[in-house]
Amino acid sequence: MYYIHKVASITHQNSFLQNDINALLVEITEGSVLFAPDYKKYVLPSSLRRLSPILRMAVAVAKECQEAINTPFEAISIGTALGCLTDTEKFLNVVNTVEGDILSPTSFIQSTHNTISGLISLELKNHSYNMTHTQNNISFEMALIDSILCCDEGKSFVLLGAADEGIEFLNKLKPIVISKDAFVTSGATFFALSKIKSNAEIGIVACQAKLNKVSIDSEINSFLGNLQIDSAAIDIVYSNCLTEHFPSEKMIHYEKFSGLYFTSNAFGVHMAHDWLIEQSKKYALVVNSSCEGGIGLILLRNDKAQD
Amino acid sequence: MELKEQLKAQIIEQLNLEDLTTADIKNDAPLFGDEGLGLDSIDALEFIVLLDSEYSIKIDDPSLAREIFYSIDSMADFIESNK
Repeated sequence: MYYIHKVASITHQNSFLQNDINALLVEITEGSVLFAPDYKKYVLPSSLRRLSPILRMAVAVAKECQEAINTPFEAISIGTALGCLTDTEKFLNVVNTVEGDILSPTSFIQSTHNTISGLISLELKNHSYNMTHTQNNISFEMALIDSILCCDEGKSFVLLGAADEGIEFLNKLKPIVISKDAFVTSGATFFALSKIKSNAEIGIVACQAKLNKVSIDSEINSFLGNLQIDSAAIDIVYSNCLTEHFPSEKMIHYEKFSGLYFTSNAFGVHMAHDWLIEQSKKYALVVNSSCEGGIGLILLRNDKAQD
Repeated sequence: MELKEQLKAQIIEQLNLEDLTTADIKNDAPLFGDEGLGLDSIDALEFIVLLDSEYSIKIDDPSLAREIFYSIDSMADFIESNK
């Protein structure tokens, strides 16, 4: 089992540094805004001025995770589907409109996907294994699988994160590519993950991800079957898609609360984590699927809960 | 707007110096290093872009950049003499 020693989220919910985020959740409506903390507590003003929202969010939650474990991470694994969109858009706009032949360096430097993990490395002064995973809607699962492999290799604590940011252009794009009612939002959720248990109660049992289009129900069957866990043993399911595998009273549609971004399932894991603690239940499953294919399954267990 | 005030406003905008106003930047104070605004090498590149896009001035000899970008006064002098 891979224990969650700390989880921190900055989202369109009042989720940052809360003990039980589920008690504070409200359904996302059009025009909702990010609950941003005072970033000056986390980044020097001289550096902060250059950072786009996704970078600010990621550094703040990463530093909260670092403070919680009080020992350097031995690996950093980040999942992001669309990376630093604000800077990418800014850079492309400059390319299109610039007068003269020199382009501004900052938005170019910060428009790559791995800016997030690179910046965290610099801010934490951490030069260990550092990887960015970008794989559409299963980017977080890929980062999680990498984290699990790092733990299995003997790395004590791994910083696992997911971050994506919404820009206005995505609102225009959404009706063309996705038939979902959820609103485009931003979010970053990071975890301090380890095989060491110490005071942690909740852990990730396993994660499975497939990029191709498959049946959700058959994937859940094979995932739980391989783990020898009966579907009836699952106490709660956080999902962004429909499945008849579980009774509706056990299902929570997490995108109602996260809004729409490719790595919002990491926030689903945060919700599941807090729910297991508050309800003293044993198993939570996070189901993530997109219409175009790509399905991720993450099973969490509460060690304190009774069978 | 006077050139030096215009430059200050452009620098604040280009470098996203959210907490500063043009009044906070002295004409003769160093822009780089701990004594001045604390700008760094990436900001120097932004200045090169600023001179090119706003004033159509290119710096042919990069070794002069330190001298040109020392302060608002030195930048304004350089712009005036290369118009």
